Amino acid sequence: MKRLAFATLLGLAALTTGASAQTTVTYLNISTGSDKDLMLELADEYMAANPGVTIDLPTLENEAFKAKLTTLLQGPDAPDIFHSWGGGVFAEQAQAGVLRNVDGLLSQDTLDSVGAAGVAAFTAPDGHMYGLARNVQGVMIWYNKSLLDQAGVTPESMSTWDGLLAGVQKLKDAGITPISLGGKDKWPAQFWWGYLMIRNAGHDEFYAAKDGEGDGYVIPDIIKAGDMLHQLAELEPFQEGFQSFTYGDASGYFGDGKAALHLMGEWDYQAQRDSSADGNGVSDENLGIMPFPSVDGAPGNSGSLGGIEGYLFSRNASDEAIKFLEWYNAKEQQSRFAAADYHIPITAGAADAMENPYKRKIAEMANKSTWHQLFFDQTLGADVGGAFNDFAVELAAGDLSGQEAAELLQQAAEDAR
Amino acid sequence: MTSATAQAVSAPARQVRARRFVDRKGLIALLIFLPPAVILFTVFVVLPMIDAVRFSFFDWTGYGPITDFAGTDNYADVLRHRNFGTAVRNSLLVVVVSLTIQLPLAMWCALSLAERSININIFRTIFFVPFMLAEVAAGLIWKFVYDGNYGLVPIIGDAIHTDLPFVLADKFWVMPAILLVITWKYFGFHMMIYIAGLQSIPAEVIEAARLDGVSKWRINAFVKIPMIRSAIVISVFFAITGALQLFDLIIPLTNGGPAHSSHTIVTFLYEFGIRRMRIGFGGAVSVMLFIACVGVALAYRRILFKVEQT
Repeated sequence: MKRLAFATLLGLAALTTGASAQTTVTYLNISTGSDKDLMLELADEYMAANPGVTIDLPTLENEAFKAKLTTLLQGPDAPDIFHSWGGGVFAEQAQAGVLRNVDGLLSQDTLDSVGAAGVAAFTAPDGHMYGLARNVQGVMIWYNKSLLDQAGVTPESMSTWDGLLAGVQKLKDAGITPISLGGKDKWPAQFWWGYLMIRNAGHDEFYAAKDGEGDGYVIPDIIKAGDMLHQLAELEPFQEGFQSFTYGDASGYFGDGKAALHLMGEWDYQAQRDSSADGNGVSDENLGIMPFPSVDGAPGNSGSLGGIEGYLFSRNASDEAIKFLEWYNAKEQQSRFAAADYHIPITAGAADAMENPYKRKIAEMANKSTWHQLFFDQTLGADVGGAFNDFAVELAAGDLSGQEAAELLQQAAEDAR
Repeated sequence: MTSATAQAVSAPARQVRARRFVDRKGLIALLIFLPPAVILFTVFVVLPMIDAVRFSFFDWTGYGPITDFAGTDNYADVLRHRNFGTAVRNSLLVVVVSLTIQLPLAMWCALSLAERSININIFRTIFFVPFMLAEVAAGLIWKFVYDGNYGLVPIIGDAIHTDLPFVLADKFWVMPAILLVITWKYFGFHMMIYIAGLQSIPAEVIEAARLDGVSKWRINAFVKIPMIRSAIVISVFFAITGALQLFDLIIPLTNGGPAHSSHTIVTFLYEFGIRRMRIGFGGAVSVMLFIACVGVALAYRRILFKVEQT
């Protein structure tokens, strides 16, 4: 009898699920923090308004995500939507045919809301659009006001490269570690070399080099960028043993008030607290932020470095998934992320909800910038990008000259072709 | 040990025994017990190996179809890669240190700890604990020990009033530091193999030598060690192949840094083949490593066989 009842129940369950034709939209994300709660909240709201749809939000930690994605996208269990940093990896995914072309499927409102830069970030080299931009990232120099005071250095004096070198020297003389750098992870060093490349080479020259025109990267302005980093390295500005520091270690070192400067993205506002020994980090009164120094007479002084993160549609993505994402990325929803300080939405108007003055400054910088360069390791793809990071660390350690670094980068680019 | 016993049985005898086995138990047993092993081995060992060889002749990022035939370019790229030489050198260094420092140390400990008593058991356990730790955990522990700000190294430095280097960030010190961890981690394993061998030596043999007035040192050198030859054979083999495949200690300790100076062949493969999405390049490295390992195994067998003959 019991067994019969159970079988009937099973049968009924099968019937009901069959009848309602539930569509499941899976959005694979990397949100391991409290922003996940807000995401779940939004998913619940969407499901309440759209009874036929189930939103599933699996999360993978950053490194695990990168490691699994390649296989996942080529199998039948690929998520409809997944997190993306754009750039070279995105281009490879598009070329491999694991993404869904959404040309003409996104509404004009959605396209307008992310702006030209947002559209460009998720348009592959083949000219098709495969995703949607979510947020802007920007790299600036974070500084510790009291340490600068102690050494008698003002942030304004470091607005040029020569001023920065002088400031670093003063800090050293005062017995303060000038700069914190996570050399073990390598990508933090990329910001130094990358910013100097943006400044010295400018947009057109850099992209000509990237496309292999002429001598590629072995051109005077790119060599000069390396030499300038080498010049900084000779002052030994980084904390002792910086090559054994991960990004988290370096962020904590700055958070503990042991180094005066940290060149890092907007996420470091929270990270320098979380990674500090007491969990408080550098307090707001003591924390400052300034743009990367300019280089006299260089073409790229109005450029900036950062990223545009977003979402991509896998080739399995349903139309429902596109509809959901348009809603999810709209101003109303994204303002809530901004208000809670989770990211700087690219969606027009959403960033106005941001309270955090530092992040507002970074958003401002990215908006004003004439060239918001995507992180170099993303732009160049996993292979050449990885090499870029390698040489950046070696420049920062003073082991390479600008000439050598440029030649090695060119070699890596040619190998990859 | 297996190779030694296998060689003890002569070839014709082995064949007879094999035939008799099939006759007696029948094919049914074979058909039941063989397929699981063969299928698992084929799917998870043989096929991936064949795939790796295939990948090594293509340019492939890991995405999409494999179409871009590259001939032997990947092999050429590996050989002229600026960090490959360092990786090979480091792997050989691990082999050399394992053979010249780790194994003698393990033997010394084994000879001192082979007797059965409670106190000695405690020491034995202490020496064996590092081997039982997961590699990643051991790597993380030593990363803290070596940390130049909060680790044990700066504490020692303070005690002797010198500034010790940040060993894991120093191109010169990083390999000695890693070699120390490797020795610490694995000597207990080899010690246990030796102890097992030593305990199987009949007490009378040693008793006889002792009655003949042979010194303790000479008993070790001319009685005990020759009698555990097969244990040494197997431990040397483990030490060499283990050293060539070293990976999971390096990743948490240094990730191959600073400036790729602490890569082994396998971490080199992972960094430049997998992480940088050059699967063909990684395939080429793995094929070379495979050939090296097979070469070592064959050469080792041959040498042993020759020694056995004399």
